[in-house]
Amino acid sequence: MNRITIEPTDKAEFYQQMVQQHGSPLLILDCDQLVQQYNALSNALPGVEFYYAIKALPHPAAIQTLDALGAGFDIATSGEIELLRAQNTRARQTIHTHPIKRDEDIRDALRFGCTTFVVDNIWELEKFVNYRHRVGLLVRVSFPNPNTPIDLSRKFGCREDEVSILVQKAQSLGLHIKGLSFHAGSQCPDSDNHVHAIEQCTEIINDLYKNHGKLLSVLDIGGGFPVEYTQPVMDIESFCNPIRKALLQLPDHIQIIAEPGRYLSASAMKSVSRIMGKAKRGEACWYYLDDGIYGSYSGQLFDHATYPLTIFSDIAEREQAVLAGPTCDSIDVIAEQISMPPLFMGDIVVGHQMGAYTSATSTHFNLFDKATIVAINKPTRVSENIIRLKK
Amino acid sequence: MNTYSETLYDSYGQEFAVDKIYFENKTDHQHLIIFENTKFGRVMALDGIIQTTEADEFIYHEMLTHVPLMAHGNVKRVLIIGGGDGGMLREVCKHASVEHITQVEIDDQVVEMCKEYLPNHSAGAYDDSRVHIMIDDGANFVRECTDKFDVIISDSTDPIGPGDVLFTSDFYADCKKCLTDDGVLVTQNGVAYMQLDEVTTTAKRLQPYFSDQTFYSAAVPTYIGGIMTFAWASNNPVLRKVSVETIAQRFNAANITTRYYNPAIHMASFALPQYILDALQDNA
Repeated sequence: MNRITIEPTDKAEFYQQMVQQHGSPLLILDCDQLVQQYNALSNALPGVEFYYAIKALPHPAAIQTLDALGAGFDIATSGEIELLRAQNTRARQTIHTHPIKRDEDIRDALRFGCTTFVVDNIWELEKFVNYRHRVGLLVRVSFPNPNTPIDLSRKFGCREDEVSILVQKAQSLGLHIKGLSFHAGSQCPDSDNHVHAIEQCTEIINDLYKNHGKLLSVLDIGGGFPVEYTQPVMDIESFCNPIRKALLQLPDHIQIIAEPGRYLSASAMKSVSRIMGKAKRGEACWYYLDDGIYGSYSGQLFDHATYPLTIFSDIAEREQAVLAGPTCDSIDVIAEQISMPPLFMGDIVVGHQMGAYTSATSTHFNLFDKATIVAINKPTRVSENIIRLKK
Repeated sequence: MNTYSETLYDSYGQEFAVDKIYFENKTDHQHLIIFENTKFGRVMALDGIIQTTEADEFIYHEMLTHVPLMAHGNVKRVLIIGGGDGGMLREVCKHASVEHITQVEIDDQVVEMCKEYLPNHSAGAYDDSRVHIMIDDGANFVRECTDKFDVIISDSTDPIGPGDVLFTSDFYADCKKCLTDDGVLVTQNGVAYMQLDEVTTTAKRLQPYFSDQTFYSAAVPTYIGGIMTFAWASNNPVLRKVSVETIAQRFNAANITTRYYNPAIHMASFALPQYILDALQDNA
């Protein structure tokens, strides 16, 4: 169930101004919030290098903001590479994390300057034979997590006992495996699976060195850091505390990296949509918004998220209501069985925590335009360590 | 401080201080940049890989030009594939005995850009009346071409990128078709210590078409990782057995000024380190 907050109408002023200026539906990306999230995660996991998973919110302002903070980027496709190239980010600080790639995907990434790739099986390993002198590989290990809404160890990742087989195969092919990666799940309720995965990886790393003389140097602990939608979650410090302790067991030389996506971007964006129609159907009043499940609220379907909503009204009366999206499909319903004051044409509905896997997975169904993303508080000064376009 | 990091290898690389950017272009999945570096002068990089620098380009261009031309001794017609920066053309034009030069470059903008931003590479060679510039895919040109050349020089980019067709068997077969009986094909073949496969793969692909196939080498500082190899392919085995005295006579007669190439280097460049010989042996 979506959590609905009712605020007095004067609180809607900022959103009304934004809509007046940019139209609706809108997504407002607050770059300051990205900075805060990045800093919170950096503080919770000191010494860990972050590669923002740009799939969560592939937006230029998000990339510029995180680049200026020194973040690297986790990419999975040539489209994502093009987005990074356009932002002048440092190619050295990227990792290609898609476990399954076509030859042209590998070549595109190499031509961009990304030389770190992820594999989880022998067929994928063999794709790198031609590029073996140029690349460093991470083996993705599967650690299923029944406690998360999204288990990222089902579709990808090898079994723990397959790692040494892959490492030996790589050695025979002249390929360098430089580390391990895992995904403990997305939106994890606790860090138990991270800790378990780190412990197992520590054992694998130690065994590989002891039994095969193979020195690994990188552990990628993925993402999974939770954000609050409608249910409270652990704060990031408490969540990361056991992870920090587990990481201490790793050999000192291991560099630890992570691929946060949701944690950095979710709270940085709000959806602003307007009521474009209403109807009384049975007991409930149906409101039709100009954004819905096929648009910015697509995460309610694909990402199993339920976004907190805010409406603005000074009326004390409450009635049963449904908030629906604009498309012709009847599954396009954002929230039902909710109790709220009557709303009117043009009234604003705000969705919170809508930065991750929202616009990223929205569609053009019915040929409705996607919500416009407006970035606010953009960084004024970007990193000087990158080549700038000649003016 | 601005820097440019080459991203050719995951575990090793070179970095340049960037004093000034002269040109940067990002199109069609491609990133080209020309910048100033104190040590190397103007540096051109494509897709994260250094292509040429003003300071050390002479080694590369002299070796791909003068070695085949001096070994042949009577070159009238030269075909250059790629080489849009004009450095190869400049070296070939130094040979007064050469009557005709065709250069095939896939992108006319590269030629224009290099004339403007790397003028010392071509040093006016594009204005030489013997030069014919064709804007075409090099592989396509040799496939369709009915002319013959005494020397073909393949000045390509890295095999991962737009230049990949210039490392195929089909391309080598078509080059053979375009060579005179005593003709020589030479190609840029990468830094052997870093990418030994490029040597063995090229050898495998050239040998079916040429009775005399080997490599020669030179160290070019910004092609990092040791010596760069150049593939040599001909059906006249005598050409690379020409004595140092004969090479010296020809070199003196040509009256060419060089900074890397000389007759002793010519002879010595065909000596290959044992690790390359072993790899070629295993490959055979």
